[in-house]
Amino acid sequence: MSEPVTRRDLLNNVARGSVLAALGGGAIFLVQKAHGQVVWQVDASRCTNSRLGDSTNVEACKLCTTECVVALSAVRAVNEHSKCGRCNICPAYFNITSAVDEKGLPSEKQCPRDAITRKPIGKADPEDPANNFYDYVIDEDKCDGCGKCVMKCKEPLGLGSIVLRVRYDRCVNCNKCAISRSCPKDAMIQVPVEEALRPPEIRHNPE
Amino acid sequence: MKLNTHPRGADHRFSWSAGLRSGRLIALLLFLLFAPGIRAQSITYSRPVETAPQENTIGGGYRTPAVQKPKPRDYWLQVADVFVLGTAMGMSVWLVLKRRNRKWAVALSIGSLAYFGFYREGCICPIGSIQNIAVALTDPKYSIPMVVTLTFVLPLAVALFFGRAFCGGVCALGAMQELVLLKPVQVPPRLDRALGLLKYVYLALAITLAIKPALARDFLICRFDPFVGFFRRTGSPQMLMLGGGFLLLGMFVGRPYCRYLCPYGGLLAWCTRLSRRGVTITPDKELDCGLCTNACPYGAIERMRAVRKDCLYCARCYASCPRTRAPLVTLS
Repeated sequence: MSEPVTRRDLLNNVARGSVLAALGGGAIFLVQKAHGQVVWQVDASRCTNSRLGDSTNVEACKLCTTECVVALSAVRAVNEHSKCGRCNICPAYFNITSAVDEKGLPSEKQCPRDAITRKPIGKADPEDPANNFYDYVIDEDKCDGCGKCVMKCKEPLGLGSIVLRVRYDRCVNCNKCAISRSCPKDAMIQVPVEEALRPPEIRHNPE
Repeated sequence: MKLNTHPRGADHRFSWSAGLRSGRLIALLLFLLFAPGIRAQSITYSRPVETAPQENTIGGGYRTPAVQKPKPRDYWLQVADVFVLGTAMGMSVWLVLKRRNRKWAVALSIGSLAYFGFYREGCICPIGSIQNIAVALTDPKYSIPMVVTLTFVLPLAVALFFGRAFCGGVCALGAMQELVLLKPVQVPPRLDRALGLLKYVYLALAITLAIKPALARDFLICRFDPFVGFFRRTGSPQMLMLGGGFLLLGMFVGRPYCRYLCPYGGLLAWCTRLSRRGVTITPDKELDCGLCTNACPYGAIERMRAVRKDCLYCARCYASCPRTRAPLVTLS
């Protein structure tokens, strides 16, 4: 035999039912509105390190390294190999203002964490350095996204193949990216995942 | 030898260029020497190459190296997170209400702390999702994935039936404070109630800041999450100190963040007013000994009855109850 339903219980049930309905309705509204995941990505045409034609800063902007909430920043420098000039003396790999060693190459490297490796393509001809090509590969685990190489790999010296990108194995996709809060050029933006994984195309100042 | 980097009037010594074979390199170095002073002049430097050589121009079977592009966490893993959330809440309800077992409830807390805290690094959590829900409801351009909606709704739905099961065994922030609570002191009820209102102020403030226009938007709850720095093993010194302060205070005052600041706790407290079941001090079996009241560090037992809106599912009352420990004690 079941207990008779008291008025208190009935009211309680009705109230609970309406709260549940409200939650469910809200959830359905939000799920219908949802269109794919958005993630944070650096807009290369705004970033002061990678924007072509921007020579206002001599020092690379390091905010992507210092502001990110994860231990080694989720932003790293990426060499888009299809755009890389593979130069013998790469302005992003070498500190080209440093003294020249016995091989005729600058003695200092640009990267403070030694994250870039330089490997000849085919057999390097020592008599014709201008026609030797090299692969420059950035070690993702060493790079902290300081932007020094990005700054050098753009006009007038480089082709602009190195850009800063967000690495999604590290990025925790904060509601408001800490880098975006401090970026002076508003270059950290939210974009759909597919767009974020494509290589950046336009690099000129949008203003 | 270091080159002179101040070009104006500098004497360009070319003795070092003996080692250079490429004229372009000299041009490049010269350009760099002059670069700061020649802003108005035309650039004489020409790049080593003007266009990027491709596979077919390089030849010799050369393959362009693949660019590393780590993808975001797979969607099914995010869905799995929601499942873990739901399962953990189910276990919390079962362990506390049915088994009345504090040991296993604590074990569940530790598991949740490891998973949602240290493995998932505190993201995503229902507490922060309040803001995303608020923005998605008000801004027509902003949308959130289904997993965020579910993360927000599930604990509230559970609270409507069983009370704050989420707070007890699942919430990583709660687990953190639960584990450091060594010497609980009772907060005077008046002070407890007054401080408890703070979380609604915080809730209102967080929603107000979140529903601003996109550029002025701020996610207060995430920014001032006291423990996320520990989960990620990094953070600004101020936030780590704030977290440390909460933990230090939490050694004596039971779960200060949960009771006085957690905005989601405020929402859960509203839902528990309608809950069908919850932690109960069973009247027909009690001894009137009051041990449970003393054992509750959250002031959630008033006049020998559990207050559902304040009960954080820690099961300390059951653990302290002589009835649970020795069920054969007879009432006199």
